[in-house]
Amino acid sequence: MKDPRLVKLGLGLAAPVLALLLAFLITSLVLVVAGDPVGEVWSTILGVPEERNIANILNNATVLYLSGLAVAVGFRMNLFNIGVDGQYRVAAFVAAVVAGEAWLPGAANTVLAILAAMLAGAAWAGIAGVLRARRGVSEVISTIMLNFIATGLVAYFLRRVAVREEGSNDIGTKEIPEGSRIPGFSIGDGPTEVYGFIFLAALAGFVYWFVLNRTRFGFDLRATGRSTTAAVASGISVTKMTVVAMLISGAVAGLVGLPLLFGDSYSYGSTFQSGLGFAGIAIALLGRNHPIGIAIGALLFAYLDEQSNPLQILVGVSPDIVAITQGVIVLTVVISYEVVRRYGVRLEQHAVARALEADRQEARA
Amino acid sequence: MRKTARFAAVAMAAALTLSACGSDDGADEGTDNGDAPAATSDVKVGMAYDVGGRGDQSFNDSAAAGLDQAVEEFGMEAQESEAEDGEAESAREERLRTFADAGYDPIIAVGFAYAASIAKVSEEYPDVNFAIIDDSSVEADNVASLVFAEEQGSFLVGAAAALKTETDQIGFVGGVETPLIQKFEAGYVAGAEAVNPDIEVDVTYLTQVPDFSGFADPAKGKTAAQGMFDNGADIVYHAAGGSGGGVFEAASESDNLAIGVDSDQYNTADPSVQDVILTSMLKNVNVAVYEYLSDVEAGDVPSGVTTYDLAVDGVGYSTSGGFVDDIVDQLDEFKQQIIDGEITVPTAP
Amino acid sequence: MPDVAPAVRLRGIGKRFPGVIANDDINIDVARGTIHAIVGENGAGKSTLMKILYGVQAPDSGTIEIAGEQVSLSSPADAIRHGVGMVFQHFQLADNFTVLENVVLGAEKLHGIGAAARAEITRISDAYGLGIEPDRLVEDLGVGARQRVEILKVLYRGAKVVILDEPTAVLVPQEVDELFGNLRELKAEGLSVIFISHKLDEVLSVADEITVIRRGTTVATVDPAGVTSRQLAELMVGSELPSPSTESSTVTDRVTLHVADLSLPGAEGPGQGRPLLDAISFDIHAGEVLGIAGVEGNGQAELVEAIMGMRPGATGSIRLAGVDLDQLSTRRRREAGIGYIPEDRHRHGLLLDAPLWENRVLGHQTRKPWARLGLIDRKAARADTERIVADYDVRTPGVDTLARALSGGNQQKLIVGREMSGEPILLIAAHPTRGVDVGAQAAIWGHIKDARRAGLAVLLISADLDELIGLSDRIEVILRGRMVGSFDPSHVTPEQLGSAMTGAGGAV
Repeated sequence: MKDPRLVKLGLGLAAPVLALLLAFLITSLVLVVAGDPVGEVWSTILGVPEERNIANILNNATVLYLSGLAVAVGFRMNLFNIGVDGQYRVAAFVAAVVAGEAWLPGAANTVLAILAAMLAGAAWAGIAGVLRARRGVSEVISTIMLNFIATGLVAYFLRRVAVREEGSNDIGTKEIPEGSRIPGFSIGDGPTEVYGFIFLAALAGFVYWFVLNRTRFGFDLRATGRSTTAAVASGISVTKMTVVAMLISGAVAGLVGLPLLFGDSYSYGSTFQSGLGFAGIAIALLGRNHPIGIAIGALLFAYLDEQSNPLQILVGVSPDIVAITQGVIVLTVVISYEVVRRYGVRLEQHAVARALEADRQEARA
Repeated sequence: MRKTARFAAVAMAAALTLSACGSDDGADEGTDNGDAPAATSDVKVGMAYDVGGRGDQSFNDSAAAGLDQAVEEFGMEAQESEAEDGEAESAREERLRTFADAGYDPIIAVGFAYAASIAKVSEEYPDVNFAIIDDSSVEADNVASLVFAEEQGSFLVGAAAALKTETDQIGFVGGVETPLIQKFEAGYVAGAEAVNPDIEVDVTYLTQVPDFSGFADPAKGKTAAQGMFDNGADIVYHAAGGSGGGVFEAASESDNLAIGVDSDQYNTADPSVQDVILTSMLKNVNVAVYEYLSDVEAGDVPSGVTTYDLAVDGVGYSTSGGFVDDIVDQLDEFKQQIIDGEITVPTAP
Repeated sequence: MPDVAPAVRLRGIGKRFPGVIANDDINIDVARGTIHAIVGENGAGKSTLMKILYGVQAPDSGTIEIAGEQVSLSSPADAIRHGVGMVFQHFQLADNFTVLENVVLGAEKLHGIGAAARAEITRISDAYGLGIEPDRLVEDLGVGARQRVEILKVLYRGAKVVILDEPTAVLVPQEVDELFGNLRELKAEGLSVIFISHKLDEVLSVADEITVIRRGTTVATVDPAGVTSRQLAELMVGSELPSPSTESSTVTDRVTLHVADLSLPGAEGPGQGRPLLDAISFDIHAGEVLGIAGVEGNGQAELVEAIMGMRPGATGSIRLAGVDLDQLSTRRRREAGIGYIPEDRHRHGLLLDAPLWENRVLGHQTRKPWARLGLIDRKAARADTERIVADYDVRTPGVDTLARALSGGNQQKLIVGREMSGEPILLIAAHPTRGVDVGAQAAIWGHIKDARRAGLAVLLISADLDELIGLSDRIEVILRGRMVGSFDPSHVTPEQLGSAMTGAGGAV
């Protein structure tokens, strides 16, 4: 009999490959219908990126990766944290203020700001966790509402603390002093540096994997996600797990905006990137909540995002094509995972049936 | 990933940045594949729009109208690209770089959101000329800043509102609470108070950053304006882009008046609400774009800050419909005082 | 057999599902005016066969003849049209409707919804002695009466062949007798009854013919007069048979579980309405099996969950080997030495989509050998799962197989093995053999006996009175949340227990 883990791996790879092929076909179809040059679009999308594009992709993927991780923590417990968007904006704002005030020197300031961001994100998500655990309020509803509140709250406080450069119509927090920024590194001689935060994101991914798969806490969390009732019977306190899972999800969400803050904008302003939390949902789905899968999903999204400008400027197609491709990928992934999952279940049942049949043959002999 | 934001069915903005409204006269055909113009030029213009892009019935469209005029007249080649909702700073930079690498010069960035990108990319491409609208924070030899004295135009329509009101109570609806839109508010309030120091001005904003949907949500605009009319105001000025349509509707339904913004909305708004548009604050982005391009065409590439104010008719008020004919003299007097520096209009509330 | 065509004739019926052959070459003749029993272990393919006969699933091969005419049944409506009706194990009645409304629901075209329908219902009820009043609300009816309503529903729709799926599973012995009386009436009127069961004594007492199904195929059709239940069972299993009876007493004088005055308020809150548990007190000694008998829904599940600490709001005192459990969480209680075989293994016992080794860890997250400093040693967990798979005869390709892929019996064996590990001093077994095949049943009984011999206290909840009587050292009857009688299993009959369970008989 084949090693079931090998089979599992094979099935795990089959799904995304199937999804990408399907997405490729559907997008081509859309291009044909829209009358766009299919060949040129694909050759642009699949062209070799320049160094600075690679840096951009890595940077964007770093941010998306953290967002995907934050969502995945919730997913593993059957919690749908739609509020990553609000959580990261609150957290990034808090971090920007803390880092901008520079109460501590240099790297200590950075560490303090990162901790503050994680705390802020955790607290914001924790509200939804407590509401769910104590009052049974669906976290889907409460996190959406908290997103709106986050928008208003951050906008209000941003105006209070904002500094505005002469002649600019943008407002932002005080710039983070140079000593507290996280230095990036260059690939080749491109003008764009890769965020140093990428290593912290990778570390976050490793911690996520380790905690979920190697610790008792992770076991409890996954068990609760698979069956609340079985978890209760096994002695897991589901209310506690709900709150803790939301706190962790929020803490990871708190990291989402930090690569931008410490590696690019150095302040939180009205042009600070928004909507990352929603991308995280798609990416967590795409990566099946697996740290490597999420990384692949984040890279893929970042890669496609990077194609948006060349497609418009060089090929002359609408950037919506990229949006369509991303949407189609998420859809096809969800579908193909289901197809492959069912196939896997069938395989497994076959295997069990075969094993039992062999037993019977033996018994008869 | 903002595509995913859409996917997640969370509508965010349609129009980043500016207030603004429809272009003066419906968007022309795309510029890259229009009819071969009579004149020819070797200038290749790269146009980087803000969120919403061409066809937003608002600020971007106004810039596009200026571009179309220049293309038509000088036979320039142009390529366009638009920002996406919630995109990364790097995407804006990349947009400018892609234009520059593909040989476009000049490159016009529409909207203050490009400020940081222009600062960065103009340094990387010292031989390429850039222009940015609504921002004057970038100082570089190859960057032209095209900014408007929105507060001055708003001052005049504020004065008009104060002269016309019968309840001594007027309103202001801003799309998104940004410093730029606050300039409109500041000028408007100052103008109204210049006429009547005791006038009551209600102020509201539809959304807060980073939610830019306030520029594209007529329903929100209508609700906000309705509230003001119910509360006793009889004239409401909007600086809310596409949401302004809702403000006009509210005025029309309650038999009150409204003031348009950016272009002469008497001509561009739905005919059914035409007669509630007292006047419009004109912010001639199209003029700025056209003038910049004609200078480029003439080989005299502008750099530094160009302020479009009352003195150069970069901003102003419209008289279509004839509702303000009886107060034109008073308004022109204010205008002259501003131009002469006798009145300094504040830029922040 | 006379030359009259049989009411139902099945020839060569086959049905495959992915990975399983559910039915294979099934041949059955059901004569008119007879009760034909179909027996087999759980998973032998009875349900699939009935679904085929009732038009829910189409067979992959074979033919169905009804009254001599070959038919193809593609829906239950088809089946009804051909005179085949089915009474499901789980009643499909709307509680807040009257009997009349329930019967005519979906069959309004037959006799309308008014007087004609009422007359027809009364006629059928009288003709077959069902004793049904058309205007009673279903929620006021007992289980037996509801079942008769279900039968009437089928007859009302013109069924000539009535299929009953495990009809006695929900009944106490007295109700079973009534049901059999009704079935004999049906038979006397010329109808045919197909009776599915795995309770062999009942089958032997009521059926005219018995067909045995094993591993999806018909292995024999026998005359009940000529077989004993033991022979029948051996036909079903294809091998020798277990029995639940325990050996000599191993009861000690050490109290392992002491429950005193345990109460649990109802949904309305403390002091309001009927409590779910009402001042329950009992002791279980080391080496003793205490059986709890009761009609389902009388507080058994709540009792177990209260002891496990899963029911906030429970009052009273629970002590395990002298340790006060009252303030302890479920996990601490488990750690104090409780093994728990839950009533619903899919909901409470397993993570269906997790591999077996993770299911092994479930409930024992904090235990050796895998728990170290908050980490879980997967290697140790796998190894210990291998041990359970071997010792408890869990049939699986490996410990990385998902729990979902296992049959019910093997899932249950894994649970039993898990709960017997970690040195428990109290084993709570709620319906430990429900829905498992005879082979697994015997194995599980064996494990419970071993536990008892090893000095564990066992709290056994079961709806199978034979199982209770066979395994228990003492039986307490629970009714409406109260302990209403204590019985010595060596002197009690299922009928006596049944009376106590329904409140009809007193305690001894």
